[in-house]
Amino acid sequence: MQDLLYFSQQLINGLTIGSAYALIAIGYTMVYGIIGMINFAHGEIYMIGAYTALIAITGLTALGLAWLPLILIVALLCAMIVSSSMGWAVERVAYRPVRGRHRLIPLISAIGMSIFLQNYVHLAQGSRNIGFPALIEGGFNFSADGAFEMSLSYMQITIFVTTLVCMTALSLFISRSRTGRACRAVSQDLGMASLLGIDTNRIISATFIIGASLAAVAGLLLGMYYGSIDPLFGFIAGLKAFTAAVLGGIGSIPGAMLGGLILGVSESMTSGYLSGEYKDVVSFGLLILILLFKPTGLLGKPEVEKI
Amino acid sequence: MTTSLKKIVTAISTSVALMGVGHAAADIQIGIAGPMTGPVAQYGDMQFSGARMAIQQINANGGVMGEKLVAVEYDDVCDPKQAVTVANRLVNDGVQYVIGHLCSSSTQPASDIYEDEGILMVTPASTSPEITERGYELVFRTIGLDSMQGPVAGNYIASQNPKRVAVVHDKQQYGEGIATAVRDTLKDKGVEIAMFEGVTAGDKDFSSLVTKLKQADVDYVYFGGYHPELGLILRQARQADLDAKFMGPEGVGNKDINTIAGEASEGLLVTLPPSFDQKAENKSLVKAFEDKGEDPSGPFVLTSYAAVQLIAQGIEAADSKDPFDVAAALRSGSFETPIGNVQYDKAGDMKSFEFVVYEWHSDGSKTPIN
Repeated sequence: MQDLLYFSQQLINGLTIGSAYALIAIGYTMVYGIIGMINFAHGEIYMIGAYTALIAITGLTALGLAWLPLILIVALLCAMIVSSSMGWAVERVAYRPVRGRHRLIPLISAIGMSIFLQNYVHLAQGSRNIGFPALIEGGFNFSADGAFEMSLSYMQITIFVTTLVCMTALSLFISRSRTGRACRAVSQDLGMASLLGIDTNRIISATFIIGASLAAVAGLLLGMYYGSIDPLFGFIAGLKAFTAAVLGGIGSIPGAMLGGLILGVSESMTSGYLSGEYKDVVSFGLLILILLFKPTGLLGKPEVEKI
Repeated sequence: MTTSLKKIVTAISTSVALMGVGHAAADIQIGIAGPMTGPVAQYGDMQFSGARMAIQQINANGGVMGEKLVAVEYDDVCDPKQAVTVANRLVNDGVQYVIGHLCSSSTQPASDIYEDEGILMVTPASTSPEITERGYELVFRTIGLDSMQGPVAGNYIASQNPKRVAVVHDKQQYGEGIATAVRDTLKDKGVEIAMFEGVTAGDKDFSSLVTKLKQADVDYVYFGGYHPELGLILRQARQADLDAKFMGPEGVGNKDINTIAGEASEGLLVTLPPSFDQKAENKSLVKAFEDKGEDPSGPFVLTSYAAVQLIAQGIEAADSKDPFDVAAALRSGSFETPIGNVQYDKAGDMKSFEFVVYEWHSDGSKTPIN
């Protein structure tokens, strides 16, 4: 019983972090699916989302607003608006002018953008860790007669539920809406879609905006969950989410979700049963193993080289 | 066209020459190398503030051998790679004395370069024993060693008769070194070590670690590392209702841990150098800092002040500006500084340096215990 509770606790920890990875991974996978480039500045968009949310929360609390759901919703909206305009602007400034050139050029442009945004936040917000207020506290505790008590906090539940809602909304949007259908068409064949009268520039912008808003959601959630943010924390999260996207099959949306959850659970199980030191070793080892046997990732389709 | 080009060339060369004059050979340059930016910049603030004050006061009292001290500041971001770049820049700038670096992992590679190039280094903060273990002639410090700080922490925990203790570190030179010293002391005292494990510096999610600590049913957790990680561990441990007492080295003892951990930082135990700013003989110095609007209570402010002072006193005692003569003078003399009487052993360590256990409070204040 004791061991089972311990296992479930590590599973919960892993799923929490994994669903947040999945939210960020969507941004990588959608952009890759449509224009075949890796948007390395995506981690920074997520970090900017977290900063915006924190600024909004601090501002609203200073204004004397006390009703928690309202604070969270306003903070979330602010973060999504700022992040998605940032995502849109990044695409316009750094990727559109070099689109269609050699693959390395947009990649380098993306790395440059990532460094720029990181340093911009360093300058604007300072390089220190900033504490994020714990707005959602408490949770359920389960215990057997032993000493170990399993806890499922309200914050973790919030992360699961929000992720679930976002993912369902995204799947519906992609499968049902007109823009969603256009997205799928563009990802299948950009040139052909444009011949058929789809405004591909608009669809590509939409992809960046969707990816960035989901990253902003993750920024707010993880900022609250961890408890502190700094200008560099987008880099590591971005790297993890990128791994999740590759693991699940880059270009595939369900793949990003699956990859995020697998990565999160493998990380927490490794630190739970082996040692925290091997966390990254095991997750990246897993990535190499999967890529060796299934180069397109778990749910990726074997693909012809994109132009 | 040619004339205007000539004019420009003349202008540039004149200004270069003038700049050379600005750095008059009669001044003694003191390099201050530490993190101005980056995650541990607040310790850098302490270092720069202490060293600047010492330079200012020494100059106000007539300088050293009739010459003024000039501060030259460098940012190493507490990154070993940047530290090497900074060290090379110091060499190029012709600086012969360095106050720094701060993080042990920066000090170590930088000191290789200083030793080779004949630059005298005094670190006000690096506590890793390895730095002075290599038989270098020009490396000194104004702080104790992990091998002194670790046993203080280990003995304190052992004296509280804990059931089981966990020792966690950030896998960096400073954190792992001190955590190892704590673990060894605890083992010698017969305390059961439930786990000894590393986390990755810069990581944010410690929920798995906290769960593991809970499972191991420890009543003391020692963390070797810096405040960004410990702050998050404290906060996440509190959210998971982990009931254990936390302890850390001086790398966690600053007010930023309160902004990260909030209420969870109440009752944290920290080993720190004694509060030199509370000593009666430092009253006027503390006032000088306060008049400038600076806070002298940080652990590295007065150690940096003392580092500058030691270089100044060393130059005077040696009656020479050659770093090797100064190093010899520092080893043979006995010097009065705000951190007490300083005498050096052959390795460049102070013959005695004391660490004290403090209890940290969630408002950023601290009270000494034992």
